[in-house]
Amino acid sequence: MAEIVVDHITMNYGSLAAVDDVQISFADGEVACLLGPSGCGKTTLMRVIAGLETPSAGRVLFGGRDVTAVPTRRRDIGMVFQYPVVYPTLSVAENISVPLQQDPSLSASARDQRIEEVLDILDMRHLKNAFVDELDAGSRQKISIGRAVARRSDVVLFDEPTTNVEVNAKLQLIRAVKKVAQRTRQTIVYVTHDQTEAMTLADRIALMRDGKITQYDRPDTLYNEPATEFGGWFLGNPGMNFVPAKIVAGAITVPILAEPLPVPSGLPLQAKLTVGIRPGRIGMSAKPGAATVAGRLCEQTVGIAGRYLARVALGEVTVKVKTDERPPAPIGGTVHLTVRRDHLVLFADGNRVVR
Amino acid sequence: MMSSVAFRAVSKTYRGNAALDCFDLVVERESLAVICGPPGSGKSVMFRLLVGLETPDTGSIEIDGHDITGLSPAQRPIGYVPQSFALYPHLRVYDNIAYPLTLARVPKDEIARRVDRAAGILSITHLLNKMPDQLSGGEKQRTALARGLLKEASLFVLDDPLLGLDFKLRERLMDELKSLRQELKATFLYATADSLEALIMAQRLVVIDGGRVVQHEDAIRVYDEPRHLRSLELIGFPRANVLRGVAAGNRISAGPLSFVATDSVRDGAIVVGFRPEAIKAATGRGIEGSCRIRLVENLGDEYVIHVEAGGEMLTMSFAVADGTALPIDSEIPFTIDPRDMLLFDPVDLRRLLPGG
Repeated sequence: MAEIVVDHITMNYGSLAAVDDVQISFADGEVACLLGPSGCGKTTLMRVIAGLETPSAGRVLFGGRDVTAVPTRRRDIGMVFQYPVVYPTLSVAENISVPLQQDPSLSASARDQRIEEVLDILDMRHLKNAFVDELDAGSRQKISIGRAVARRSDVVLFDEPTTNVEVNAKLQLIRAVKKVAQRTRQTIVYVTHDQTEAMTLADRIALMRDGKITQYDRPDTLYNEPATEFGGWFLGNPGMNFVPAKIVAGAITVPILAEPLPVPSGLPLQAKLTVGIRPGRIGMSAKPGAATVAGRLCEQTVGIAGRYLARVALGEVTVKVKTDERPPAPIGGTVHLTVRRDHLVLFADGNRVVR
Repeated sequence: MMSSVAFRAVSKTYRGNAALDCFDLVVERESLAVICGPPGSGKSVMFRLLVGLETPDTGSIEIDGHDITGLSPAQRPIGYVPQSFALYPHLRVYDNIAYPLTLARVPKDEIARRVDRAAGILSITHLLNKMPDQLSGGEKQRTALARGLLKEASLFVLDDPLLGLDFKLRERLMDELKSLRQELKATFLYATADSLEALIMAQRLVVIDGGRVVQHEDAIRVYDEPRHLRSLELIGFPRANVLRGVAAGNRISAGPLSFVATDSVRDGAIVVGFRPEAIKAATGRGIEGSCRIRLVENLGDEYVIHVEAGGEMLTMSFAVADGTALPIDSEIPFTIDPRDMLLFDPVDLRRLLPGG
C-alpha cells in the first residue's frame, strides 16, 4: 500500500510560500495530476514528495510511514523529469534493465519478463535492441518512463514529461502513462500545466493556484462543478462564462436567466455574485421560448471539431456559446438563449455556493 | 468596400526560386484577415515585402489606395508586431513600449496616454517600471505586442504574436486583440501556425501555397469548403485526416478506406481528406471499417480519439456525452459519410469538385 499523505506542507523561499500549508492525500494505485499555471507551486510540491526539497513545515507519509526525513533514494519512488534520463550508449532493453539490477530479489528470468512487460507498455517491443542515441526525443522520454516504472516502486512521480517533445511523441507518452496506470497500479503523481493532459490522465486532479490547492476532484466534477471561478476559467476551451448577478427583491437576477434564482441559505451578505456557465451548456435558437433570453449575435467562428463558437451580447454582458448547429441568425441579428439551472454554478466572491 | 492592402502581381525571386509568383491579394479595410501557409509558402516573404524589409522584383503594393512600394519601412503607415521580439535591455518596460513614439517626438503626455492604454489592454500595467530581464517570456512578448500596437496606423501586421504563450493567456489575448481591432477601426493581417487560433481569430482566411493565394474567403466558408489541401490541413482543430490513395474506375482506395466516389474521378493517384468530426464511432451507412483506440484525450467539452486502422493513424472528435466508454486498445467500428470525403489532386493539391 502506498497512499501518499501530504500533511500541512509549507515550502518557503524567503518571504514567498511556494507551497502554502497544503493538506492532500493521493490514493493508492490512482493517478493524481497537479495542475495549474506556472508559479502555482505544483512542481515544488512534487519535489517535496520526492524528497528533493526539505519542507519548511509539515510531513510527507508513504503508506502511513513518515518519510519527511528519508532521502530521495530510500523513498522507493520512480521519477520522470522534463528531460529524459537515459544511458545513450545502451540499448533500450539495457536501459530498462539497469534499475532492475539493483533489486537482488529478482531472478534473471523475472528481470527479463519485467523488461518485456515494460516494452509492451511502451509499445517499444520492436525497438528492444535499438540504441538510445539512435532514437528521437519522444522515444528517449518513453524509455525514461520505462526506467522509472520497471522496478514497480510504490510511487512514480512525473514532472511535466511532455514539455520538450513534438505533438505525436506527446500523445505516445500520454498513452504510455495511461497504460502504466492500468497495468502496474502504482500511485502516480503527475505535474502538468496542460488541462487536456490532466483531464485525459487523472483519476483526480488537484488544481493549484498561489501555493494552495483550490480543488481536488475527479476530472468531470472539476470541469462541471468548479469550486472557484479560477477553476471554471482555467479549464475549458474556451473557459466558463461569468455573468454578474445581483439580488433584487429577495431573488438572484442574472442577465442570462428569464426567471430569477432563489437565494440559497447562508449566502454571505454583500458578496460579489456571479453565475458561471460553460459555453457548451447554453442553448441557442432563432425563436423565443418559455424561458429564453434574447441577445444579439456579435460574432460566429468555428472552433474545436467543427463546432460553432458564437459571441452573444446580453445588454452589457457578452457570453460565448458553443453549438453543433450553425447560429440561427446573421451577425447583428437576434438569438434566444436558454440554460438549465443545474448547469449554472453560483459564485460568491469567486467561490462556489452550493444551491 | 475600400481596400486596406493590395498586392498587385507581386513577384519575388531568391536565387532563381520564386517565393512569390505574380501574387495578388486584396484585403478589405477594417477586417481581420488570417494568413496561413506552410513553411516556404511565401507567407513570410509577403510580410517582409509589406513592411518594407524587402523590395519586390515586379508588381506593386498599395495601402489605402496609395502605392507604397518605394517607401522605406519607417515611412509606411503600418504597425508591425514581429514574431521574434527584441527589447532594449537597458530600458524600462515603459520606455521600451514608448520608444517608437519618443523617436517620432510625440508629446510626453500623449505618449503616456497611449502607453497606458496599450499596457492596460495587455495586462502589463504593473510591469511598466520593470527592466526586461525581470520579465517572463510571456511578459516580454506582451511588451513587444504593446509596442507594435502603439502606432497610429490603420493597418497592423501581426506575425504569430501569441506563439509560445500559455494557453489561457492566448485565449484572453485573442479576445482582446479582436476587440482592440474593432476599437481602432484598423485592418489586421495576422499570421499563425496554430490551426485553431487561425479559425478563431479570422473573419477572412487567406491560404497561401507555392507563392500564390490558393483560397481567400470567410473563415467558416474555408472550413466548410476547402478548395485546396492546405486549406484543409492548416485550418481546424484537431487536424484533418489526410491519406494518399489511388482511384480506379471511380473506386478509391486510401489506407484502410475503400469507397466509390460520389462524382467521377480520373484513374490514378489521389489525395483523400476528411475532418475529425466526419468520422463517427458507430456502425451505419457509408464507408465502414474498424479501428483500434490508441488514446482518448478529454478536452472537457469534446473528446479527441486517436485510432489506428489498417496501419494508419486517424483522428476523430465529437462532443462529450454521458456514458461513452472508450477504453484504450479496444476495437470499435467507424463510419464516414462519403459526402464528407474531400478529394484533392495529388500534384497541384487543388480540391476535385464535381464538374471541375
